[in-house]
Amino acid sequence: MDELLAEFIAETRETLEPLAGEIVAWERAPDDRARLDGIFRFVHTVKGSCGFLDLPRLERLSHAAEGVLAEVREGSRRPDKALVSAVLAIIDRIGELVEALAADVPYSEHGDEALILALEKRSAPDEADASSLAMAPLVPAGPRAPARSIRLPVELLDRMMAGVSDMVLARNELSRRLRERGNDGSVDAAFERLSTCVAEMRESITRTRMQRIDGLFSALPRMVRDLSSELGKQVLLAIDGGDVELDREMIEMIRDPLTHIVRNAIDHGIELPAERQAAAKPAAGTLRVDARQSGNQILIEIADDGRGIDDERLVQKAIGSGLVTRERAATMTRGERLELIFSAGLSTADQVTAVSGRGVGMDVVRANVERIGGTVDIDTQLGRGCRLTLRVPMTLTIIPALTFSVGSELFAIPRGAIDEIVRASGGSVVVERVGNSPVARIRGERVPVVLLGELLGVESHVDQARAILVVVRASSGERYALSVDTVQDHEELVVKPAAPAIMATGVYAGTTLPDNGRPMLLIDPAGVAQIAGVRASDAALPAQSEAVVDVVETVPTLLFRACDDAVRAIRLGLVERIEDVASSAVADVGGRLRLSHDGRIVPLFGCDVVVPDKYDRVRVLLLGDGTNEIAYVIREVVDIHALSPDCVPVSEPGPIAGVMLVDGMQVELIDCFWLFAQACNPIASAERPLCLLDSDDPWMRDVLRPIVEQAGYRVAYSGDASERAGAVMILSADRAAPAPDEGGTVIRLRANAEENGRSAGSIYRYDRSGLIAALAAAQGGR
Amino acid sequence: METLRLIARIGDQRVAIPADQVESVVEIDAITPVPLAAPHIAGLAALRSRVLTIIDTYAALEIGRSPREGLLQAIVVTIDHHLYGLLVDEVVDVASIPGEPEPVHAGLSRGWAHAACGLVEHDGHALLQLDPARIVAGPAVGPAVLAA
Repeated sequence: MDELLAEFIAETRETLEPLAGEIVAWERAPDDRARLDGIFRFVHTVKGSCGFLDLPRLERLSHAAEGVLAEVREGSRRPDKALVSAVLAIIDRIGELVEALAADVPYSEHGDEALILALEKRSAPDEADASSLAMAPLVPAGPRAPARSIRLPVELLDRMMAGVSDMVLARNELSRRLRERGNDGSVDAAFERLSTCVAEMRESITRTRMQRIDGLFSALPRMVRDLSSELGKQVLLAIDGGDVELDREMIEMIRDPLTHIVRNAIDHGIELPAERQAAAKPAAGTLRVDARQSGNQILIEIADDGRGIDDERLVQKAIGSGLVTRERAATMTRGERLELIFSAGLSTADQVTAVSGRGVGMDVVRANVERIGGTVDIDTQLGRGCRLTLRVPMTLTIIPALTFSVGSELFAIPRGAIDEIVRASGGSVVVERVGNSPVARIRGERVPVVLLGELLGVESHVDQARAILVVVRASSGERYALSVDTVQDHEELVVKPAAPAIMATGVYAGTTLPDNGRPMLLIDPAGVAQIAGVRASDAALPAQSEAVVDVVETVPTLLFRACDDAVRAIRLGLVERIEDVASSAVADVGGRLRLSHDGRIVPLFGCDVVVPDKYDRVRVLLLGDGTNEIAYVIREVVDIHALSPDCVPVSEPGPIAGVMLVDGMQVELIDCFWLFAQACNPIASAERPLCLLDSDDPWMRDVLRPIVEQAGYRVAYSGDASERAGAVMILSADRAAPAPDEGGTVIRLRANAEENGRSAGSIYRYDRSGLIAALAAAQGGR
Repeated sequence: METLRLIARIGDQRVAIPADQVESVVEIDAITPVPLAAPHIAGLAALRSRVLTIIDTYAALEIGRSPREGLLQAIVVTIDHHLYGLLVDEVVDVASIPGEPEPVHAGLSRGWAHAACGLVEHDGHALLQLDPARIVAGPAVGPAVLAA
């Protein structure tokens, strides 16, 4: 049944019961204003809800009653017996209709008119007339569908839950005592029965706490509608995943954060229709609210396609309010900058609006979510929108878990996160060390190993080779093996959020009290992955080529329109900021364009002459490699794409590294390496090592030369070289190798991919990486 | 104003905690350690079906480590919907002590100064009144900074 309708029915039933007494009391004392008001409020509420829920019959009935009662309130009508009876009859009818609605059975409309007419009868002298109407309903009321639902305060459920948990503990205690005393068949059977009952009860009480997230989402359409019309915006709301169930207390706890985020999205995220159209977006913004279950967590995503969050402005605000220093701000990553939105007292809104930005900020949202053991993540692209992800645990519920020991400590891990459990020394398992971190090879798949004892600082009792590997997949996508001492048991555990100081460690999802009565910590697989430094991208690398690689490596790449109007690409990792600077900050000094920015002089690339916009500003990308900073003039940002790391390289080193295909369009990729090399003191060309190429071979001259130059060599030709000492020589494998000069290296290239006797020790000439490695080795050997 | 206060001993210091903030006093026999947590988090213990986070009061007050031998007494408080047990050396009494705590003029060490909300008089002795929430929050300065 529709959540709202169910709510209406429950509420109406609840108010109806005491109301019956009120009406009778009112009949006795018609001047009792308080009673009259109570009844009036009831019919008024019913009328309002009916209009909203589209229940015209109930609306008509309550409307009629309301009208008469209003007259009584105004004093234009005396509440005589007939009137009271008629009101009573209407209220009875409302009750019957509501029951019919609850049972989802049709209820005859016959008699509604008569009831409404009875109200209009002004002080009918014939009392029997009205009372007969009231006493004998025109339609024989069937047996009232018994109420199948009641409302309970959550505290009561909590008490029940705690009571059942206590009962489980008592049962376990009893079980221990019984075992100590030895077997007694009849007692054992009775005890078994008790155990089953307790288990069933625990399960059903847990169920009582679960609620569909629908209840939370059902308020959103109205809120979005009201807000967007108030702000003059158009918003399409798309809701998905309303059938996800979570603890009703959790639902209450995320109600405020969710409301706040949705308000923010509409108020600050989604632009006005005209603004959107100017940005070539549909006039109506889209707001998506999705819920889904992921392991023992519920993920709620709120995504809008609005203007996104300008992290640069955030940083400026944070500096302005003294939250971070300018120095710190300069070294912050993009993620860290976005994190600023969760800082107390920082709002990006220029104006405080009535809707949001009134001081209750994202810091409160995060605090509320973290209090229930959840997290909030933010992801945004300037001009394209913003996505907030709430992850909340399904705690306070019973989750199936695996318990295991490390040293003398017991821990639990959600069973849903476990892929498999293997022995470190098992037949198909080999644990190797890569660098200083262990990696398990399980049936040909490499899985990083996290030594839990080492991570937690708990001394392990078991030799590493005999450890058990619990292969887990965290909700954040990482797959790794948790090395533990022994696996204890599969248990159903009631998990509760741990105290903030414990959650702050980042590795626990909550606490639990297993049947032995000793508290235990539940490990959070995603948190452990993060603390241990396991990353999703390098997790679960296939060790053999036949393993299917389902993850295509991509690099976030920024597409922009350059000064010559061409669209070019640059790897986003190097872009620190996008800024509009005054054109007066750019000057052609010291042989190149330079930008004075934040008290520093930064080399400027991207154009020969700066063309400012109508506000006399220039938009620049600020690029950083950690030590050096350069600026690159652009006209506008086009998009951010996740693109393959490969591109077709250009032959000459220069500002363009190569060409890549983006949505069928050829786009030049900026060579940041080259730009930084230009910006920093270039290596004087005489200091570059020399490489001699065969001048008779046009392939070497035209094809090979740029690669050798890119590898950092100066190129000369074997014919005209005067200084051959120490030079690297590249020869074709089908030419006789000359006696190497003192200290020189000879690299021989062959034309065929396969090596043969003649070309032994040579490199295939299109083996770019082999060639570059050989050139690097030659340089290192000098 | 007359208020019930719980009087306990932490080290050689007698302290008072408003009784309306105290749920109960329990004896703790086993504490489950919480690896990686702040030093003032002694671990977890069970109070019937509920889990208590045990606070090492000495560490919170920066006067060392609470003794962990034998049966331990803990004062149970609820802060922000979480249940905590504050380890004390001895629960002395519950007494009705009139008056609001007075400001402390004596120079307290940092840990005490952080947790204390004033002085109250009982039986001719001065008791430091402590705020359980501040004890639970732990030392004012993070341990990493102290170590540096």
